[in-house]
Amino acid sequence: MEQGYREIPHTADVELEVWGKDLPELFTHAAQGLFSLAVRFDPEPRISAHRVINLSAPDWETLLVDWLNELILLSDENEEAYVAFEVELPGVGQLSARACATTDFTRTKVVKAATFHNLTIKEGPEGVRATIVFDV
Amino acid sequence: MVKPTDFRRLSPFLWELPKGARADMRVPARIYADEEFFEAAFEDRSAEQLVNTTTLPGLVAYALAMPDIHQGYGFPIGGVAATRLPSGVISPGGVGYDINCGVRVLTTHIAEEEVRPYLDPLMTALFQHVPCGVGRGHAGALGAKQLDQVLERGASWAVAMGFGTKEDLAHTEEQGTMEGANAGAVSERAKSRAKDQLGSLGSGNHFLEVDVIEQIYDPQVAARFGLVEGNIVVWIHSGSRALGHQVCTDAVRDLQSAMRNYGIQLPDRELACAPFDSPDGQRYFQAMVCAANFAWANRQMMTHLARQAFEQVLAGKVKDRQLTLLYDVAHNIAKVETYTINGERIKLCVHRKGATRAFGPGHPAVPEAYRDLGQPVLIPGSMGSASYILVGTAGAMEQSFGSTCHGAGRVLSRHAAKRAVTGQALRQELGQEGIVIKAESMSGLAEEAPEAYKDIDRVVEIVHQAGLARRVARTRPIGVMKG
Repeated sequence: MEQGYREIPHTADVELEVWGKDLPELFTHAAQGLFSLAVRFDPEPRISAHRVINLSAPDWETLLVDWLNELILLSDENEEAYVAFEVELPGVGQLSARACATTDFTRTKVVKAATFHNLTIKEGPEGVRATIVFDV
Repeated sequence: MVKPTDFRRLSPFLWELPKGARADMRVPARIYADEEFFEAAFEDRSAEQLVNTTTLPGLVAYALAMPDIHQGYGFPIGGVAATRLPSGVISPGGVGYDINCGVRVLTTHIAEEEVRPYLDPLMTALFQHVPCGVGRGHAGALGAKQLDQVLERGASWAVAMGFGTKEDLAHTEEQGTMEGANAGAVSERAKSRAKDQLGSLGSGNHFLEVDVIEQIYDPQVAARFGLVEGNIVVWIHSGSRALGHQVCTDAVRDLQSAMRNYGIQLPDRELACAPFDSPDGQRYFQAMVCAANFAWANRQMMTHLARQAFEQVLAGKVKDRQLTLLYDVAHNIAKVETYTINGERIKLCVHRKGATRAFGPGHPAVPEAYRDLGQPVLIPGSMGSASYILVGTAGAMEQSFGSTCHGAGRVLSRHAAKRAVTGQALRQELGQEGIVIKAESMSGLAEEAPEAYKDIDRVVEIVHQAGLARRVARTRPIGVMKG
């Protein structure tokens, strides 16, 4: 599967450019990008739990930041990382998702938070794209 | 987009962008830098971020950047901005996610040659005693009541629990307990993330170092600070761990909608803010103070653990093993402070994001032992270079809301640093220079390579020449512990 994110140079923190054919895919790729920064998964990680996440926000950008910060919090609290995501966006600013958790990983970096800095979700002919700055 | 030519040079180390240069500026923007550092602020978004901060409602005088300025999000790192109280704003972006990230220095009477034969076991013992990396802290899991006590009492709680002395508190900014804490303002999510992290270093740029004092610039002040050339000192750099991160996350999110109620519009959502005296502003301030107190308790506990490690390794080998706290400073914080502006005494909310308080002689907030001199100002460099101990000045009170730089400031991204050197190679290279390295993560070590930072000597030279703090001593690392 093609990777849906790439790291952009940032002096102090980490900036990810993320893309997808639609918003659910963008949200999925953003979550995958987050855990690519924060952990190294074992070769064949076993699923240990499923987390159900429901969020609402006034706009898509806020929802994207909320989604990533929710995953950071859950990962921290439960000492797990997420290898797969099912994301549904039933209405503007509404998210209903399931994240597959594993404990088969090594944490490589503390990601403190996803930020709103310069965050816009842009639509184009190939889908949607966003850049997200993470405080690390 | 602002350009270097939009600025005017006010003095050899000070540049100013006038208020009208961008329509939304409320005050001028000032950068303390030499020519090279000034030009570098335009190579990424640092200068633009500084100009964005000038749009905050209630700002007084100017928004400032120190010579260690580098790109952050919202505010640049190395930024200082002060708003007039009661209605000027408080912005969590002006403090950052690691609330009360700060540094302390412990002095000793131990000469380098006394500790050299035991340096490796000493660094191993420090690594074993002081939890680091992404894991749990020394205190284990705290109960809800205990955690609330930590949030409201800070380092005083740690000392009451046996992790230090009253003298330690006297030599800590705010005596380690900042007024205004309300544990009820901290979300349950933030508390949940904090409960097992107290007494831990964390990762990233946090460190514990054993350094040697290699140069004294001001013998009189150095003597009063207990700094003797050739003796070792211990530096501890850490913050409020995940608790601070979550307090900031909660506040930035909540203030997005609150700003609409106050009619505030800003060029960057990460600058989210609220009037200081509003319920939203007060909720953030009270929670921020709790996180700041947590960080002071955290550094106090690590001080205790470092003392245990010194005792374990050096007992029977070194006569005087005492570690005395010189001072502890916060460099990510918002404080209520009073200044004279145009002849008028006014209360301000001073945001320091990657900037250190540098109060000069006579200020009542400076510990009694140093009050006639000014406060100790602690500026850590990178692990292969040097760090500095300075003293606060009257110049800082007049020019920079009693503030100065906080470190070297990054020039390379973490990615670029890892491309330049591997952790293993760096450890070997520094080992050849006599520096013992203990690190939880080789990748994390590479990200913090000396090449990733500005030249600390030049950063400190600029603040010294500009009168924002005065050099007292330079230290160089001989043992480094990284998370």
